[in-house]
Amino acid sequence: MFNSAFKNFNEILDMGGHGIYVWSVYLIGILIIVISFLIAKKRIKEVQKKIKLKNASS
Amino acid sequence: MLMLGWTWGLLFAPQDAVQGNSYRIIFLHVPSVIFAELIYFFMAVCALMHLVWRVKLAAYLIKSAAPIGAMITFIGLFSGSIWGIPTWGTWWQWDARITSTLILFIMYLGILTLHGSFSNLAKADRLMSILVIIGVVNIPIIKKSVDWWSTLHQPASISVSGSSSIDPSMLYPLFISVIGLGFTLISLGILSSRSYILSREKNKKWASEHV
Repeated sequence: MFNSAFKNFNEILDMGGHGIYVWSVYLIGILIIVISFLIAKKRIKEVQKKIKLKNASS
Repeated sequence: MLMLGWTWGLLFAPQDAVQGNSYRIIFLHVPSVIFAELIYFFMAVCALMHLVWRVKLAAYLIKSAAPIGAMITFIGLFSGSIWGIPTWGTWWQWDARITSTLILFIMYLGILTLHGSFSNLAKADRLMSILVIIGVVNIPIIKKSVDWWSTLHQPASISVSGSSSIDPSMLYPLFISVIGLGFTLISLGILSSRSYILSREKNKKWASEHV
């Protein structure tokens, strides 16, 4: 069960001709998830900034 | 955990006898669509809480969860259609499961659009909850679509009770990927609900003391 399915790095990239499909899906999927995290973090910062501004003015 | 599941699935699990290596997309595709449905289910529970007991927080959670649901449904659809190219010979097919999942994606977008179209936020929360409840009929349709209609999609090969028709060497990494994606999405949900709750309650005393 723990034997590698591939012999070398090129085989991992190629995946018997399916590499382009497999890797593009994972690349774009990871990218979308990472961007979502960045947006969420940015929003928290923005809101905190707004509240701080309001606190300072009152 | 997500990294463990994916490394195992991508590099160590054996090739599929029929599909070769393209089946490795499963470790992203299946967890995504599982959570596409679970997030909607979570939103429906929140909608009920909001409508019945007027829990304001429940509506905030729906509003924070909907973009994440849309995002993960998109990943599910997208990974499925790329998987379809080498496996089915087509990237899109109007079969029952794909169509009902597309409807789920449109529901998520519709929920967000509806909420955004009201300036009265309390009213927006209420109508959004009603729409979420209406849309929940779609969830069992997605689940059962492969049994009710004959489609390109295979019937479920994993069952909680009884035996699964998928080999353990593929099932374990898949299971770990599901749990890993679950944790990833929960942390994303905590982050996005945090900013949304703060922005809705920014005039309250606790919010100004929080920062």
